[in-house]
Amino acid sequence: MQTLDLHFMWEAFFIALSGAPITLLITVVALLISIPVGFFFSLIRLNGTPILDQLCRIYISFVRGTPLIIQIFLIYNVMPILLERFLRSTHSTLSVFDVNPIWYAFVVFSLYTIAILTEVFRSALKTVQKSQLEAAHSVGLSTCAAYRRIIIPQALVTALPNLCNATTNLIKNTSLCYALSLREITLRAKVAANPGYNYIEAYIDIFLVYLLICSLVEYGFKKYEKKLKAYQCLSA
Amino acid sequence: MLEVREIRKAFGNQEVLSGISFSIEKGDVAVILGPSGSGKTTLLRCLEFFEQADSGEVLFDDIDVDLRNVTKEQIKAIRQKTAFVFQNYNLFNNKTALENVLEGLVIGRKIPKKEAEAIAKEALDKVGLSDKYAYYPSQLSGGQQQRVGIARAIALSPEIIFFDEPTSALDPELIGEVLATMKKIAKEGTTMLVVTHEMSFAQDVANKIIFMDGGSIVEEGTPRQIFTEPKEERTRQFLKRMLPEYTYYI
Amino acid sequence: MLKFDFVYLLEQIPKLVPYLDITFLVLILTLFFGTILGFILAAWKLGIRPILSKLAYAFTTAMRCTPSIVLLFLVYYGLPALASIFAFDLNDLSKLFFVVTAFSLSFGNVMSEIIRSSYLAVEKGQYEAAVSVGLTRFDAFRRIILPQAAVVALPNIINSILTLLKEGSLAYTIGLIDVMGKANLLIAMNYEAHALETLLALSFIYWSISIIIEKANELLEQRLSKGRTFVKTV
Repeated sequence: MQTLDLHFMWEAFFIALSGAPITLLITVVALLISIPVGFFFSLIRLNGTPILDQLCRIYISFVRGTPLIIQIFLIYNVMPILLERFLRSTHSTLSVFDVNPIWYAFVVFSLYTIAILTEVFRSALKTVQKSQLEAAHSVGLSTCAAYRRIIIPQALVTALPNLCNATTNLIKNTSLCYALSLREITLRAKVAANPGYNYIEAYIDIFLVYLLICSLVEYGFKKYEKKLKAYQCLSA
Repeated sequence: MLEVREIRKAFGNQEVLSGISFSIEKGDVAVILGPSGSGKTTLLRCLEFFEQADSGEVLFDDIDVDLRNVTKEQIKAIRQKTAFVFQNYNLFNNKTALENVLEGLVIGRKIPKKEAEAIAKEALDKVGLSDKYAYYPSQLSGGQQQRVGIARAIALSPEIIFFDEPTSALDPELIGEVLATMKKIAKEGTTMLVVTHEMSFAQDVANKIIFMDGGSIVEEGTPRQIFTEPKEERTRQFLKRMLPEYTYYI
Repeated sequence: MLKFDFVYLLEQIPKLVPYLDITFLVLILTLFFGTILGFILAAWKLGIRPILSKLAYAFTTAMRCTPSIVLLFLVYYGLPALASIFAFDLNDLSKLFFVVTAFSLSFGNVMSEIIRSSYLAVEKGQYEAAVSVGLTRFDAFRRIILPQAAVVALPNIINSILTLLKEGSLAYTIGLIDVMGKANLLIAMNYEAHALETLLALSFIYWSISIIIEKANELLEQRLSKGRTFVKTV
């Protein structure tokens, strides 16, 4: 116990790394779903659309007000029941136990990220002044074109750091997938550590893998931000 | 060409426009004068439909709009004929000077890119910014930004351009260049409706002055009439304050 | 398993609520130690010693990339091993110790960034003015900089407390019996029979606390935004 088992650590690093594709898959799927939906929700919130706005608020308040791990447990308990009913009603030969837990992960993390991104987009859109929309209208752009060409590009710049944060948080949060028995980074390394009780080594490896992935993601975002920020290069 | 009848607008209990009527002919350069809070800017914003007026009528060539129920098509049709120059320039922050001018041409008016580019460059040349095509708003001075704003408006060759206090956000030393640009395009026969506090522009360039106070038009006439023999006491008071040295216009 | 029992859900709440004391104990201890750590790290980052500031920034980068649960286990397994090198035995320590240590590290890191940015948000002239009228460096910080920086920082701090509350629920994974741990025990005791009801009861408890904290945040922000203009005009 006194010294680290470096040989194990070296091997377990790659075992942990082999879980990275699952982590990234969940991240990408969750983002692909929550970016458009979150944007749509943020418009509902900004317009104060009756009923829908209230529903959005409750939804966001719940997701942001309860621990993610509880949300995961909730989905893990509710989804199979709903799925089973659905499968039975369609007389499918599939069983709920055949469902890959990654589908549950897609659902949980999408629901979670939608709530986060709604707030990110909402505050970003709020930073673009209403007068930009007026100016666009005055030269004959439709509201839709104004959003697409003027408002969103500007909002994106302010949203990007938060978007980056949301993405790295999402990546980190996928470590909770152990609760779904999903064999991603954390669970793989942990299982590898079980026989020899090499938990310290395993967790150092896990730490390193997350460090690697998150640093790369942050680097990518920074690069992209620099590119987008071209128009602010010499802020007055 | 443009006729406005009985526009009314209230914010809550506060009536800002209480029945404004006037008309503008092609080639007119009309200046709206008046103390702040008299409803000048609101009037202009109602004409561009940034604000929804409560009642009234706008006749623009063959378009007849009842402000009580305006359709999207009518708003679009009127905006096609008009352009707006803002107090705070409101250039698109994410676009270069050239792209700012192009935006309305290519997306708003659906003019082919090549053709639009020629028009946009011509407009920027006219306001004296031929060397600033690729500059972003944040890289331009206030005066330059406003000149891009004017180029953005004239490029659309609208029938009328609304100017909403185009120089009030500018430092004193930058006002001149913008006024000179406005004067230049006025001399080319552009129809303009200008809200401003710049008396020199009203005197030298306008052919029609509308004096507003408290949400209604107090009097209107040629600059000569208004500046030398104003009929109303309120107009006199205002002019006395704004141009003590010109109390007697020669 | 398919039937949802609302009465059962309500019955679970009084069973869980008493265990909030552990949840709050973790929260308060973490706030205390995390804030101290935050001040130290922020001082290093803003200080003139390049080694310390590099160290503090490296720590921030590392923490930003570490999932809470990984940090928790690193501390839980790593700390006793590290201590044993120096012939200390930490194995008999309460689980509370490891939980508070782990969360203090991450909360301290967040605090250090909040402190740093709000410190920088206060104009340099304020410090110079304070020193010019004869205040010591410490007094200038305590009486002039800190009150102004706190205004900038408070909403962020409350947000971080909310995050901490939620992340704190992971303490059950190393066997701490707080409100989350108790819920897990209840579920296990019933052979997962009424898991859904128990989980919902648990989430309502967390949700209520979050809403209270958020409302407090809103009120505070309203109060402070008045203070802000006050600060500006003075």
